[in-house]
Parts: sequence; structure tokens; C-alpha cells
Amino acid sequence: MHITGRNLAFVLANTIAVIVALYIAFASNLERPYWAMFTVFIVAKPITGAVRSKGAFRFLGTVAGAAMALLLVPPLVHAPVLLCLATSLWIGLCLYLSLQDRRPRSYAFLLAGYTAAIVGLAVVNSPNTIFDTSVARVEEISLGLVCAAVAHSVFFPQNVLEELTGRIDRTLRRCGTWIADALLARQSIDLETQEQLAGLVSDLHVLYEHVVFETSDVPRNASVMQALQDRLALILPRVSSVQAAFAALSTAGSVSPSTVQAMEATSRWARAFPGANGAPRSDVETMLDAALAQLPAESESSSEWTSLVQRTIATQLRALVAELSEAARLAVALKDAGGTPAVATPLGPPSRRALPRDRGLALLSAFAATAATLIACALWIEGSWPEGAAAAEFAAIGCSLFATLDNPSKVLFGVVVGILLALPVAAVYEFAIFPKIDGFPSLALVLAPMVLLFSWMQTSERLEGMALVLAIGFSGGLALQSSYQPDFASFVNSNTAEVVGLLIAVVANLLFRTIDPVWNALRISKSGWYAVAHLAQRPTSDIRDWTLQMFDRLGLVTQRLVSAKRQDLFGRRIDGLRDLRVGMNLATLQRSSDALPPAARKSITSVESAVSEAYRGLIQGESLTHRDSARSIDQVIAAFAAQGRTQTVEDGVTALVGLRLDLTVLGSRYLPQPLNL
Amino acid sequence: MIGETDIHGVFIPTLLVLGIGAFFITLVLQVILRRLHFYRFVWHAGLFDTALFVVILWAVALVTLPASSSGVGP
Repeated sequence: MHITGRNLAFVLANTIAVIVALYIAFASNLERPYWAMFTVFIVAKPITGAVRSKGAFRFLGTVAGAAMALLLVPPLVHAPVLLCLATSLWIGLCLYLSLQDRRPRSYAFLLAGYTAAIVGLAVVNSPNTIFDTSVARVEEISLGLVCAAVAHSVFFPQNVLEELTGRIDRTLRRCGTWIADALLARQSIDLETQEQLAGLVSDLHVLYEHVVFETSDVPRNASVMQALQDRLALILPRVSSVQAAFAALSTAGSVSPSTVQAMEATSRWARAFPGANGAPRSDVETMLDAALAQLPAESESSSEWTSLVQRTIATQLRALVAELSEAARLAVALKDAGGTPAVATPLGPPSRRALPRDRGLALLSAFAATAATLIACALWIEGSWPEGAAAAEFAAIGCSLFATLDNPSKVLFGVVVGILLALPVAAVYEFAIFPKIDGFPSLALVLAPMVLLFSWMQTSERLEGMALVLAIGFSGGLALQSSYQPDFASFVNSNTAEVVGLLIAVVANLLFRTIDPVWNALRISKSGWYAVAHLAQRPTSDIRDWTLQMFDRLGLVTQRLVSAKRQDLFGRRIDGLRDLRVGMNLATLQRSSDALPPAARKSITSVESAVSEAYRGLIQGESLTHRDSARSIDQVIAAFAAQGRTQTVEDGVTALVGLRLDLTVLGSRYLPQPLNL
Repeated sequence: MIGETDIHGVFIPTLLVLGIGAFFITLVLQVILRRLHFYRFVWHAGLFDTALFVVILWAVALVTLPASSSGVGP
């Protein structure tokens, strides 16, 4: 943890927000001021937009959950089993819905789920207070988040774009260095760059939602962001296409000097690539243009395999350079209000996009949450345990909050430990300090050290989670109310119930939701293969959404396999870049089909079904090159090569050569057969 | 005190109702100002937005409440 102005500003703003929220809650005689207190901690983030969006979604979720409790409790209060069943099913449903989207808005669904438990189950003994409790919950949550939102937007706000563009710039420069190395040393894959780039593209999708909630000076450029995503997602498949083509040339033993020259010039250009915040060097650019122009000229009027591969390299290098420069321009335009970046294709209005969903896992998480809540409810009803309601609430909260992880029980166990650490501190406050003080100023004064400490911990990425757990455990343990009623028995009872609830969540997650990351990575790869096969069957020329989804899968798979130290699994079967290349080439082929005479266009269908067949084989455990797709591809290559050389033809040839390199055994002979028209 | 507003039998502090109204007016105003690139001239947008809300709330209160019963306004 470093002491920086930013951290100090955050700590200051957060402490003020907590104290003000508590003051207002006490002054207006709200029922449970500590709800407002920990809401401030929950929504506090170093980024203003994140605070405001989390606040907005927390508010919406709380209102929905409280409304659900109002709907469920009055009719079912005399049938406790039904009430528990209905509440747990509602929690499961909300969790399932929230797992369908990774953007911040999913938080609203989480809240809707467990707020119903918090409000509904707490009042079963006095059902006539359900309306008051619901209103109190909504009031106090809103109070806490309004205080947090105002404090964090007024005291030295930090906007999310600053953070994102910094990351884009770092990633772009890293990409430049990696491309430079990859083209020269033929270093095959750098998993770290892959993971970083894929993480960035998915995070752009997820974090950009905060921008809508930023203070008004932050420009809203959703279409620029999407265009940037599209460019970033293409960089890696492009480089790997060039590598594959170069490997094919080397195998054939026919690497021409001009190919090497073009690769070297691009490599030099990439090494000098200034990222998003610098001017490109003009001397390197001219050299690159010259080298790239020479390459296709040399392979003129030849339909030999090697010259086709050379043409591919030229097209791909040119596209790579264009995309990387456009990405840099778009990254600058992202921060720029009202500026239109100079890119080849005009930006349309932002489209609705979604990252891939994992319905099976979401269903499993929902099941675990429902089961945990039901188990806690069973203990509560069967054991006539007065605090059982709190156990059920915490079982639901525990299962909901960590449902996105592969192994939630480990983190949940950490939460239990954190709460157990916070409780003695809360006990000291409750039974040793509070009896000695009187009035709000002294309360604020004695709370300040703890609030400062927790806020300070929240500024560190590593301690953030623990800080939140401690803050919640501390505020919940104190359970500050307008009048001081020390009761050691109830302190112990209610906090034991919390811990028991969390332990039930740990067990439920251990039983139902612990999955092997490697197995999950294989599952995700497989869903990617289905996506490729599907694309081949129903080809379209616009695959931007498809690319985003595939790139996200690539990131998820890489992240899991790298952290499990199973890099050996990458290669013949799991290769997200290859899948992306195949998809890109299919789309390009579709776009260039106009260049062919109508009779020859039909032959493209045979290529597409060959791709689909090959991927279905991959899903069933065969290798991708197992089926022989070379013949059908060679036919279409010949048809393209017979056309005059236009940009469209060149693209088509590039796409087909790319497909052939990926789907056939390296070094298999190119045997063009004329089409029987 | 401004008093409470009766919405189908539920009593809500009038200040809250006004606040919610002012919040939405502020939102619309912010969108308009952003379209006009007004925020180029603003030093601290967070502070400006908050201040804008307070001003709008005051104005709304001034317009909707009869001068005699309200504690706000001149």
C-alpha cells in the first residue's frame, strides 16, 4: 500500500461518507443505521463511476427484493415451509439471472434475491412490521449509497476512462513488442500477452458500463469502444496467421528474401509502435510500405502454392499494421468528447453485445444457493432456533456473492475467518467503549479509527476483499441503533447465526459448486468449437459479436490453464487463436464470394461444410486435420486464383490459404483441380 | 417543516418527492449540457453536478410550495 494523493482522497471521502450517513440515519430516527453504514463500504470503489453504478444497481435490487418480500410474506407467514421454499427459489432464480451477464448490472439481480431473504425472513415473528422493515431497508440503503456517491464524486473523483485508457496504452505497447518478437524469432504464443489482451477486451465490455454513471465531463463513446474491441480482438489471430503461413513456407523450403524483408520491416515497425500516446515514426513507416509493396509484386501471375502463401503473408501483415494503428487512434478518441477518429470503416451506433453465457454453471450455482438457504431454514424451523433467520440470510448472501468463481468455498471460508476476526473488535466497542460515551460526536470519534483503517485497506487491490468483510462484520456486529442496549447473549447468538449461515454456504458450495478449473477450461473450449461449427453452417460476413465471444472464451481458457500450470494442454486441440482465425477466414470468404462467377460460388459451400465437419470431429475427440478438407479448399483457391487480382480476390485467397493451413496436415500437397462447371 | 405527501395512503416526506423530481430534471439537464460540450468549461464536474442538483431542488421547491407554508425561498 503506497501513500498517494489518490489513496488519501479516497480514505477521506469514504470516512466522511460513513460518518454523514450515520449522522443522518440517527438524526432521522431510522431503524438500523448500521445498514447505511455498511452500504457505504460496499459501494465504495476508487472509481467514481463504479461507485455510482454500483449504488444505482444496489438501489434497484433492494427495491425489487423488498417488494418481493412484501408480496411473499403476508400470504405465506402461517406456512413457514412454503415461505422458506418460495424465498429460496426466488434467490436461486435471481442468482441464475444475474449470472447471465457479467456487467455491473447483474448486481441488481443478486440484491433482489437476498434482500427478499433479509427483509422477509427477519420479520416472520412479527409479520405486521413487514412494510416498515421493507421501507427501512430501502431508506437506509439509499441513504448510504447517496452519501457514498456524493462524497466520491465531490472529493477528487477518479474516472474509469483514465484507468481504462492507461491499461489500453500499456497493452498496446506490450502487443507491439510481442509482435516484433513473434515475427522475428517466430516465438509461437505468449500466453501472458494473450491473457492480458483478452482480459482487456472483456473488461472493456464489462467496465464501460460505468462510464454512463460517470460525472458529466467524461465522454460517452460506446461506438468507439466497440470499434476498439473489434480491432484489439483481431491483432493476435492476425499475427498467428502470419506465423502459420511463414511456417508453411519454411517447411516447403522456399522462403524468399522479400518475405523475410517484409517480416523484418513489420517487426521493426511494431517495435517502434508508440502505443496510444505517441506519434509513429515516419521513417519506419516508409520502409514498411516499401517492403509490403514488394511482396505481392514478386509473386505476380503465379498460382504456385508458395506464391499463394506469400500473398497471404502480405495481406495479413498489411491488415495487422492497419488494425494496430487504428486501435491506437481509437484509444485516443475514447477520451475525446465529440471527436471522430480516422478509421477505415465509419463507426455505426453502438450495438447490443453480450459475452458468452454459461447456462449450466449458472444453474448449478442457483441450485447451490437454493439448497444452502433451504438447509439453513430447515435448521431454523426444525431446531426452533430463534436466530435461524439470520443463518438463512447469510447462507443466501454467501452463495450469491461468490457464484462467479470456480471454487467459491475457498473464498467463503476466508470470509468466515474475516468475520471471526472483526467480531472481537466489535465486542470491545459494544461492551467496553460504548458504555463510556454519549452523543454523536463522541461516537463518530471512537468509530473514526476503524472506519479510516477499513477505508485505507480498501485502497489496496490485495486487501480490498478482506477490508469489505471486516467492515461488514464490524458494522453488523455493532448493530448500531438509536439507543444503546448492551446484551451480550443476543450479540453472541445473532453473530453465531451469521457464521453458521456462511458455513452452510461453504458446505453447499463444496458439494455442488466446486469445479476443476482445467475441466472448466476444456468445457469452455468445447463451447467455442461448437460456435465455430455453427458459424460454418450459417456463414455471415459480420462476425464482430462472434469474435468478441470467442476472444472472451480464449481469455477464460488461458487464465484457467495458466493459473493451474497446465500450459502443456495448449496446442493441438485447445488453441483459441486457431478457432478465431478459422472464423475470421470464414467471414472473409463469405465477403469475397462476390468476386467469383456465380457457378463457382456454390463450391464455397463445400468448404464451409468441410470446416463444420472438421470441428464436429474435434468435438468428438478427433484431431482437426483428421478429415481431409484439402481437396475442397484447393478447388476454390484455384477458382479465386483464376480471377483478376483485385483486393477482394486477394482477401479470398488469403482466407482460403489460412483455412487450408489450419485444417490440413502441414506440408500436404496443394493440388488444384479445375472446377467442373 | 415542509410536511408529507399522501400517495394512495402512503405518507412520504415532500422533500423526498421533490428531491426525486429534481434528480430527474438534473439528469435531463446534464444530458443537454453534455451535448452542448458545456463541460469543457467546468473545472470539477462532480462538484458542478452536485451543485446543479441543489439549485434545481431549491427551484422546484420554490415553484411547487406556496410561499407562506414553506421554509425555503426568499
